[in-house]
Amino acid sequence: MTELTHAADLVAERCRLKKALLDVNPELTQTADIVDSVGERAVVRRTVYVYEAPVRLWHWVNALAMVTLFVTGYLIASPPSSPTGEASAHFQMGYIRFIHFTAGQILAVAMLGRIYWAFVGNSHARQLFYIPFWKGEFWRGALLEARWYAFLEKYPQQYIGHNPLAHLSMFLMSTLGTIFMICTGFALYSEGEGRASWLSHAFGWVFWLFPNSQQVHTLHHLGMWVLVCFTFIHVYAAIREDIMSRQSMISAMISGERQFRDEV
Amino acid sequence: MSATETFYEVIRRQGVTRRSFTKFCSLTAASMGLGATGASNVAHALETNPRVPVIWMHGLECTCCSESFIRSAHPLVKDVVLSMISLDYDDTLMAAAGHQAEAILAETKEKYKGKYILAVEGNPPLNEGGMFCIDGGRPFVERLKWMAQDAAAVIAWGACASWGCVQAAKPNPTQAVPIDKVITDKPIIKVPGCPPIAEVMTGVVTFITTFGRLPELDRQGRPQMFYSQRIHDKCYRRPHFDAGQFVEQWDDQNAREGKCLYKMGCRGPTTYNACSTVRWNNGVSFPIQSGHGCIGCSEDGFWDNGPFYERLSNIHQFGVESNADRIGVAAAATVGVAVAAHAAITALSRVAVKRDDKAPPAVK
Amino acid sequence: MTVQTPNGFTLDNSGKRIVVDPVTRIEGHMRVEVNVDEQNVIRNAVSTGTMWRGIEVILRGRDPRDAWAFTERICGVCTGTHALTSVRAVEDALQIRIPENANSIRNIMQLTLQVHDHIVHFYHLHALDWVDVVSALSADPKATSALAQSLSPWPLSSPGYFRDLQGRLKKFVESGQLGPFKNGYWGSKAYRLPPEANLMAVAHYLEALDFQKEIVKIHTIFGGKNPHPNWLVGGVPCPINVDGIGGVGAINMERLNYVTEIIDRSIEFTNQVYLPDVAAIGSFYKDWLYGGGLSSQSVLAYGDIPEHANDYSAANLALPQGAIINGNLAEVFPVNLRDPLEIQEFVAHSWYKYPDETKGLHPWDGVTDPHYELGPNAKGTKTNIESLDEGAKYSWIKSPRWKGHAMEVGPLARWIVGYAQNKPEFKEPVDKLLKDLGLPTSALFSTLGRTAARALECQWAADKLKHFQDKLIATIKAGDSSTANVDKWEPKSWPSEVKGVGFTEAPRGALAHWIKIKDGRIDNYQAVVPTTWNGSPRDPNGNIGAFEASLMNTPMADPTQPLEILRTLHSFDPCLACSTH
Ligand code: HEM
Ligand code: HEM
Ligand code: NFV
Ligand code: SF4
Ligand code: SF4
Ligand code: F3S
Ligand SMILES: [Mg+2]
Repeated sequence: MTELTHAADLVAERCRLKKALLDVNPELTQTADIVDSVGERAVVRRTVYVYEAPVRLWHWVNALAMVTLFVTGYLIASPPSSPTGEASAHFQMGYIRFIHFTAGQILAVAMLGRIYWAFVGNSHARQLFYIPFWKGEFWRGALLEARWYAFLEKYPQQYIGHNPLAHLSMFLMSTLGTIFMICTGFALYSEGEGRASWLSHAFGWVFWLFPNSQQVHTLHHLGMWVLVCFTFIHVYAAIREDIMSRQSMISAMISGERQFRDEV
Repeated sequence: MSATETFYEVIRRQGVTRRSFTKFCSLTAASMGLGATGASNVAHALETNPRVPVIWMHGLECTCCSESFIRSAHPLVKDVVLSMISLDYDDTLMAAAGHQAEAILAETKEKYKGKYILAVEGNPPLNEGGMFCIDGGRPFVERLKWMAQDAAAVIAWGACASWGCVQAAKPNPTQAVPIDKVITDKPIIKVPGCPPIAEVMTGVVTFITTFGRLPELDRQGRPQMFYSQRIHDKCYRRPHFDAGQFVEQWDDQNAREGKCLYKMGCRGPTTYNACSTVRWNNGVSFPIQSGHGCIGCSEDGFWDNGPFYERLSNIHQFGVESNADRIGVAAAATVGVAVAAHAAITALSRVAVKRDDKAPPAVK
Repeated sequence: MTVQTPNGFTLDNSGKRIVVDPVTRIEGHMRVEVNVDEQNVIRNAVSTGTMWRGIEVILRGRDPRDAWAFTERICGVCTGTHALTSVRAVEDALQIRIPENANSIRNIMQLTLQVHDHIVHFYHLHALDWVDVVSALSADPKATSALAQSLSPWPLSSPGYFRDLQGRLKKFVESGQLGPFKNGYWGSKAYRLPPEANLMAVAHYLEALDFQKEIVKIHTIFGGKNPHPNWLVGGVPCPINVDGIGGVGAINMERLNYVTEIIDRSIEFTNQVYLPDVAAIGSFYKDWLYGGGLSSQSVLAYGDIPEHANDYSAANLALPQGAIINGNLAEVFPVNLRDPLEIQEFVAHSWYKYPDETKGLHPWDGVTDPHYELGPNAKGTKTNIESLDEGAKYSWIKSPRWKGHAMEVGPLARWIVGYAQNKPEFKEPVDKLLKDLGLPTSALFSTLGRTAARALECQWAADKLKHFQDKLIATIKAGDSSTANVDKWEPKSWPSEVKGVGFTEAPRGALAHWIKIKDGRIDNYQAVVPTTWNGSPRDPNGNIGAFEASLMNTPMADPTQPLEILRTLHSFDPCLACSTH
């Protein structure tokens, strides 16, 4: 591909490719086999299989665990009002913490599985774990995407995997954020498991960086808000792009197939 | 038994075997980099030498560590001082002053080279050439390093010597530092707390004289026997924590029934100390038992993790009155509003602009 | 060179300069330099606080409800008094009223401190200035027993008891390892007790060491620990529940009984050991009446121990309030801590900077800006001081003045004010002690007077403990168990800018904290502490402070052994951590 120097060149380039495709096979625009009773024909749209089953499974398990962790994490720091009666008859805080820790364990195991899949899955499975830092194209794409969100671009971009801006925020906020939460979360968890536990040996280094466990609580708590912000933006962007950028988003995370809605 | 009981006799009388005594000597020698012949020298010295001399120095502090030490009930501090150690220098208790006091330091350094314990209460300031803490006309920090050179081991008493404590809280105007920042070549036993519990202090000292070795330390240099569990792990109010039963306000019904102080800012869940088990002043009570949360006084930097009455610490980098939730809610709300506004603008522009379904336009 | 100070002392620094650094058996870091003439009489005195931590600076910007914990760490010896002063300052600023029980419990805490601190001071920080430990070895245990029994019904007084003790002491001394007694001034001419009195005093040194740890358990019960018990803005943190479900989790009958028992034992120890010892030791030193210093001229007390909650006016305070100047006991001036012209701090001779150092600042407008420098006549270097230049800055202590006067504070000051006000509680015990010793009232203004006033105050405080314990129980009995007022707990409920002052009578004297709160945060915090008053360096007018004044004109038996200097300085119970903070 020729060197692209301008964002507009990218649009032009894509249009050129599309035109070339149509030149080769004009038939592509319509098929005859699916017809409505009044004669309307189904449109042909391009579809790519992007998110393999393990990625999809991971995503939704992760989303569920994450939301559970938000709610229970918040309640750990600001518990609901006290039940009356004898302590032995209640386990309110105990359950909140139990759910938190369970969701935390699931989150962590799921993350391990997801990391494994990054090695064996398709190329999109790897996107979460790196940024093509040295690729100018990536940064230009991110810029274009940012302009699109700032209403400065008339037309959206389409990508098979994540758009560069989503890619960037997923790596920084979600991947690193989740790993940070797992490390600090397990470090805190290890305190209850005891100094002799394997968890303490595995995550004790966190306290070497932040010697006062209160500081680790503070950071773990701040981390939650980073992820909450990410989730807000993420879910909004997913819905918006589903509508606006003429490619499937949410269903892509369900079926794995991304469909580009422009008729070919 | 002769009047002059040697250190060796004292520890043998207290049931320490010959074997562990020898081991102590080789450990001491090793810690001083003396090698194998060093060990036998140390052994010889301790067998013929008397009670372990202890030099207790004061930097920037409030003397509450000394005050706590003299509260020890088992052993009684008089027995510690008369029979177990030789407290040859301690600003607070010693009879001598001025030159006579200074002479003791020099004499100990020479006579008991490598054999005395240096106990430090408080810490050295580094600003102003160290002259925020002057001792004999000189910066305390110099004298501290000088006495540390020939010590067998160093005990850091309290939060001051261990972490820096109140004078090292932001903005730390004197640049007070924990002693391990200036004594880097000696084993340092940190016994944090503001102050530490009396029986923990005498426990550490007599551990050394009884078992003839330094106690096992955790990753932060604290004796793990007293500092490996949190207040919260052994707090008798823990059932109320698990049940979710909290004091909601000072002196409310829950406070009067002794429920958990978590919502009052208790730092028990993040504080390693022996208060909830050993308790204070011969087991009479401890902060939580008397209705106030733990403020985390044995933790590194606990002064800057306040306010003490809120579960969440202030985060000063984000300006006053901010904690993780206030910052987080503000950030999330900002994001929420931005998303809503963005969605609204998106919707409006979609209505306004007649959309062309085959975007982007075909190239001519 | 000879200088006349406005407060009436003739300073002459031409004689031999003697340096004592460190001054030990006090809290913290102190240096003193004196000039002696040919007769070894002290003609000039320079006292220096040699440490500074900057707690006032550290407090800025913090939550006022936390301030008690920071200020409590000013000192672990007078532990709790700064905390009490701090919560009072915050409550004054925010107009928070505390429940009656909180007032009683706070008084109990404060009085417990007085009793504890005075006993520890006398036996462990001061006694060795009067008692020769080594001489005790030659005492006859039988005669010691007879002496002890003639003085007091205290049961630990048999010949066998003293014999055992002497045996232990002998073994200790013969070990050659004297521990804290090493390099003491044993055998000095300045010691005057017979061996038997020395042995008895050593026995009580050890008994007091055992007993002091019992007294503080009152702090442990109400405050959770000692040193550094816990406090609360708006009341006290310990709830009361004597008769309800879960009473075991609060102050209940068992806890109250525990406190009562300790109070009874404290009264007993003070009456049967401390006071008889002071009287006995005093009787051997009653012609050693040096060290009066400012006490015969200018003394200051803020008053403390409010009978009823929330009323800090002098009439409601059990400890007296007032200022005496120019030695005129006939006129006791009222003291107003809010008046910008009454209490001011100067830094002309302190290691701090003010925009204008000829003027003093009222603590609400106080400035703490460290600035270390030595004067041109100092000897040595900046980091190796041989001798200081008292003409320039020479101490980390500021110089507080009351209407321009250097004042002495402390037990003696309080008792002089109470005496001058003709309060029988203070006058009668003083007169009795003086009569027993055969001394005139003027003998009060001395090193010994300071030591005696402290002992009398200890007895007073132990009795008052009982009073407030009874009051606490009576209030609970009347159905009021509340211990905290939470109406203004949340900073949201506070006005945007307020200021307040809290005061107490700490063991060492008048203590106050001034606070300014802005938008829920500490804007300025200033503490003026007893040892700041007593240990203050000269002010811009040349008035010397109480420590310096007290050393003047004292003859030394042997200038190489600073026993007399220690004796007099110790009589103030100096606390340097407090003084500079
Ligand atoms: C993204 C995921 C997570 C979020 C949003 C989250 C959120 C939170 C929050 C807000 C708190 C309260 C902190 C405070 O004291 O202020 C908390 C506490 C905690 N979290 Fe998480 N957390 C997450 C993951 C984890 C994981 C993976 C673990 C590991 C098991 C974990 C273990 C803990 C523990 C042990 C505590 C302390 C509980 C206590 O003190 O009682 N968290 N979490
Ligand atoms: C509950 C509502 C959620 C919806 C509707 C949703 C939707 C989506 C969609 C549509 C994608 C595909 C985006 C693309 O193709 O560029 C995606 C990917 C992703 N989402 Fe979510 N998501 C949700 C919650 C979350 C949460 C709570 C998190 C974690 C904080 C999360 C983390 C991710 C990550 C990391 C990816 C990239 C997946 C990969 O590349 O393996 N999602 N999500
Ligand atoms: N000076 C002083 Fe204190 C006292 N008493 C406090 O206010 O000792 Ni540390
Ligand atoms: S650690 Fe705390 S108690 Fe000990 S000297 Fe420091 S401030 Fe005082
Ligand atoms: S009172 Fe404090 S230490 Fe005890 S259970 Fe509650 S939070 Fe934990
Ligand atoms: S405040 Fe300190 S005394 Fe113990 S209970 Fe907490 S560590
Ligand atoms: Mg001050």
